[in-house]
This record gives sequence, structure tokens and C-alpha cells, in this order.
Amino acid sequence: MWAMLGVGAHAQTQQELSRDGNGGSTDNVLTYGMGYHQQRYSKLDQINKSTVKRLVPVWSASLGNEYGEQGQPLVYNGVMYAANVKRVIAIDVGTGRQLWNYDIEWDPAVPRVVCCGLNNRGVALFDGKVYVASLDAHVYALDAKTGKQLWKSKIAEWKEGYSITSAPSVVNGIVMSGMTGGEFGVRGFVVGLDAQSGKEIWRRHTTPDPTEKAYSTWPQDDSYKRGGASTWITGSYDPDLDLSYWGTSNGGPWTWKARPGDNLWVASVIAIRPKTGEIVWHYQWTPAETYDFDGNNENVLGELTINGQKRKVLMHADRNGLMYVLDRATGQVLAGNPYVKTNWATGVDLKTGRVVETDVAKRLRAGEQVEIEPRWTGGKNWMPMAFNPTTERLYFSMLEETAIYQLNKDLPEYKPGERYMGVTNTTKDRDTTKPWGYWGAVLPMTGKPAWRTPLMDLPSWSGAMVTAGGLVFTGNTAGDFAALDEATGKVLWQFKTPSGVNSQPITYTYKGKQYVSVFSGLGGGTSARRETAGKVLPAGTVWTFALMD
Amino acid sequence: MKKIELQISVAEILLALALSAHAQDFPAEQIKQGADTYARHCAPCHGVRMKNPEGAFDLLTFPKDQDGRFRNSVAKGKNSMPPWESLLKPEEIDALWAYVVAGEKK
Repeated sequence: MWAMLGVGAHAQTQQELSRDGNGGSTDNVLTYGMGYHQQRYSKLDQINKSTVKRLVPVWSASLGNEYGEQGQPLVYNGVMYAANVKRVIAIDVGTGRQLWNYDIEWDPAVPRVVCCGLNNRGVALFDGKVYVASLDAHVYALDAKTGKQLWKSKIAEWKEGYSITSAPSVVNGIVMSGMTGGEFGVRGFVVGLDAQSGKEIWRRHTTPDPTEKAYSTWPQDDSYKRGGASTWITGSYDPDLDLSYWGTSNGGPWTWKARPGDNLWVASVIAIRPKTGEIVWHYQWTPAETYDFDGNNENVLGELTINGQKRKVLMHADRNGLMYVLDRATGQVLAGNPYVKTNWATGVDLKTGRVVETDVAKRLRAGEQVEIEPRWTGGKNWMPMAFNPTTERLYFSMLEETAIYQLNKDLPEYKPGERYMGVTNTTKDRDTTKPWGYWGAVLPMTGKPAWRTPLMDLPSWSGAMVTAGGLVFTGNTAGDFAALDEATGKVLWQFKTPSGVNSQPITYTYKGKQYVSVFSGLGGGTSARRETAGKVLPAGTVWTFALMD
Repeated sequence: MKKIELQISVAEILLALALSAHAQDFPAEQIKQGADTYARHCAPCHGVRMKNPEGAFDLLTFPKDQDGRFRNSVAKGKNSMPPWESLLKPEEIDALWAYVVAGEKK
């Protein structure tokens, strides 16, 4: 009993995790996405359209890393937990002083199997422990008070192309982790570990083996073993339905000619039971995926008014250029419409639930070199969107570039831990009179913008957050961290951080005052370096802001 | 003044000759081998046929007289590039160098 009380007083409970961003204490941010629903919405409104002009930095701290900062910090009882590929640090929210540092070690050769930047998007908290995954595909548990390692669990062999860049998620004592490696012929999975010991409880592969029904969507050989469908963005979770929603990546190799068929569960969302890993339902965004349209972008859970009725939905802006709304209990698709220029498909046929491909897609599959919109990096990439449950709008950074793309004549040879693609892809020269992309507010059911701001000089690879103060917080690769008017997109406030902002802002209260924190540090993805060449240098820092008294 | 200009242009001619001689040192087969290795391991960051690199070093501008620097960077890693020596054999790195020097028109 004493032990239980002790745990309750000092360590995160399941109840606290379930209530995070959902009626729980605003002093804490305990989950990736500011709530299991990943809405990135805060009801805090001290910082609002009128007061935001008084927003000033209260402290900044180094994150000791030049590879780039994509992470989202968590906050519990006045302590911030921040991670990147090199370390986890704990910081006193009141002073900005570092409490402890834990170095994450990996072989310098590991980046050979990391396609798109050396990233770590965050930690998970539960029961006095901080959980983090490493680039070389391990999950660690650290003591939240001291930073001492409690256990370390090997999830996969990096030399076979596996790595991890996503934050873990804890549900009912199970630490779930995804993985990445879709460019290296991996077989995707989500793994469930015992939060106390690190022991593996289940592993749900995201390509089917020959005993499973979905195997009929694959060639009747062993191509599913190299079929991709990695799981590199943390799943959202609905405690009432007890379902966790994970997106899956492109197929392996990139060229579909090597694996004719729809290839479940590539480029899909799977709804799984956190206790067992069982797939309860699935929906495939891009059947017969061959564009590098990973389906990993976050699956945001919320309620939308559809035909006058409130529906519990899952919202997802896919790399493929379409905005999807699904019934999250059943997986039924309710909408699938372009939110950026999309030339390979027109949308989703709601009768069949299947995307309708255009002549561009047909010519690509026939072997022609074609221009594809959006480019393989997507109309939106990993940077998470925010959902305001009151306005029922989504806020996020959009990208518009064009790929020149062709499936190679020769199929690629598979060698463990080496690139496995079979595609020749380049970027069409940009028309500099056109924007790189937009900051925008999008209506989920139509994909149409309520407003959008063209980004002319540099694109944005930043996550968004929306608050009851009527503000959308986001950033850009130049390093500007900005607060926009939620209704119009007008920039009401901005602050230039030292490097690019391509991360995930959070907000919380400390001693009754609203704080906003964000990481600065250009990186994560080769595109960001191309776009900013000669303009921005890397260097990781965390910035915390509050209203000047 | 004229003399100096003349000296420079002679130097440039000599340099150009040296470079073209350098390029001819590589057998076509080795350049082809380098191109294949490049396409598999390097193109995703350094660009298809070294054009439009995705933020990584623009290899078309790599100094052709610095083969030691090239080999060392590939083997040991440099900035964001990981070390390749545990995957690529020395002769594969030689072939990559041949491709970088002589494989593509600028």
C-alpha cells in the first residue's frame, strides 16, 4: 500500500496518461501529440490574440546536437523531458537548468540505414520512467528522477536496415514502439514491451505471412519479408475503443513491379489492440503503393459534425495529397479529397473505399517517366497537424513540389541493410514565382482550405499546435517560431530562434502561468538542407516563452 | 602585366591538360562500376548522376586533385555522412572516385 501511494505521488499513472489533453492537469504534457488523440489542442488562453504581443522568451537551453530537432518535449511536475538522437535531458521548467543528461550511444555507421535525417521525435512517460527509442533500434527505460538506465531492449538489427526515430507510447503498462527502414527492404512491425521489464510481449508485423488472409494481396513468394510498411510515427489511441492507430510506410522496394498486388498493410492505417497487437481493422490509403507515399502521417482522433450528426472520426492528411476522414470504430472511409495539387489520383470513391488513380499513375506503372504531384515527400510530411475541436478545422504545413519519377527497368537486388528501391526520382526545377507550400487551415471533410498562407522563400517542416486563445503556433526552416491568428492565418507574433524550427511546440502551465516551448535545430530530412543551403545552420536548442508581466 | 596574364593562361592550359589526363587514367569499366555503386548508395543524398544533391555535398564541384580527402571522407564519414568502410571495399571506393572525377559531364 505504501509503495502504491509512493508511486501515485511521484509517477505518471495510466489515468493521468488517459486524461492528458483530455481534462487532465494543464501543468503536464504527458503524451506525444498532447493527448492520446494527438489533437495538439490546448484549452489554455492566457496567451491569446490580444496578449500574444507580450510573449517573450524566459529561458533557452542547448540540446547538444547538430543533427536536427524534430522532437516534442514532455512535461511532468515542473520537469521537461527532451530527446534527440544523441541524448535525453531533463530540465527544470522554472529555471531552464539541466537536471540530468543521458547519452544515447550508437555505432557511427548506423546512419547508413537511416534514409531521411537522424531524428528522434520524443519520449514517453509512465510510472516514474522515461522511455526512448534509439537510432540503432533499441528501446530504453530511464529513471525519470536520475536519468539512470533501468533497462534496454533490442528491437531489431540495424545492420539489416532497421532503425527507430519515433517516440514510444505507453498504454496500460505496454510500451509500444514503431520502427523505420522502408528504403532498406525491412519488414515492418509494431512491438509491445512490458513497461517494467522491457520484455517483448507481442510483435505485430505489418506485412502478412502466408497463414494470413491479407497474404492474397502479395505475390505468393517471400516478398512480404522485404515488403516495407514501417511504422515510424507514434500511433494515436482511443481509450474507449481500446484501439491504437498506426500508419504504415511505402512498400519495399519502392517499385511495385517487384511485388504486384495491393500489398496489405503497406501505406495503410491499422487499428490494433495495445494488449495483444491484434489488427482489428485496416484501411489502405494507397493500394499497390509505388510512389514512396508513406502512410505514416499521424491519425488524429476527434469529433466532426457530419450531416448534422457528431461522428467519432480519425483524420489523416496523407503524403499522397489526400485528406481522409474515417469512422474510427470501423475504419469506414467517410471522405478522401485532395488538399494540395494532386495529379496521380482524383480522390476516393466512397462506394468502393478505393482511391481513383489517373492516367499519370497508369503511365508510371507502364514504365514511363512522369511528373508526379505531390513529390514523394508528400503534400504533408511527418510534421504533425493540430485539430481544434471547436472549429473542427485542421492546421498544418503543406508542401508543393513536383517529382520526375520512373520505375527502373531492372528490379533491385536485395542485400540486407542496403538501399532497396528500384526507382529513379528527381525533383522538377521549381518555378520561383510559386510557393514552396503553405501554412493553412483545412476543412477535414472536403480538404479545402479555410485559409492558407503561401510560403515563398522557404518551406515549413514544422508541426502545429492550436489553442483556445485563438492561436496557431508553428515555425519555418529559417528559424521563425510564429503565432498565427487561427481564423485568418495572419502572423500576430514571431520570434527568430537560432536555427530552423522543424519540431513540435507544446503549451502547459507552471505556477499558474501559461508557457510555450519549442525546439530549434535544422535537420531531419535531406530536403530541409537542400532548401536552406547557404541560409541556415544547424544547432539544437529548446526555447520557453511566457507573457511578460 | 601582359606577361602575367600569359602565365595564367598557360597555367590554366596545363591544369586542364592535367585534369583530362587524370580522367583518362580511369578505365571505362571502373567508371561504370563506380556509377553503379553511386546509384545504389550515394544518389539518395548526393543526387541522381550527381545532379541536384538533396542538401549533401555537390560532388560535381569536388576538387579533382584531392583523392585522399575523398577516400577518407567516404571511408570514415564526414558531417552527416556515415562511414562506409565496413560496407564498401577499397576497390569500390576507388571506383567511386573514378566516377566522381570522370563519370559525368559538368
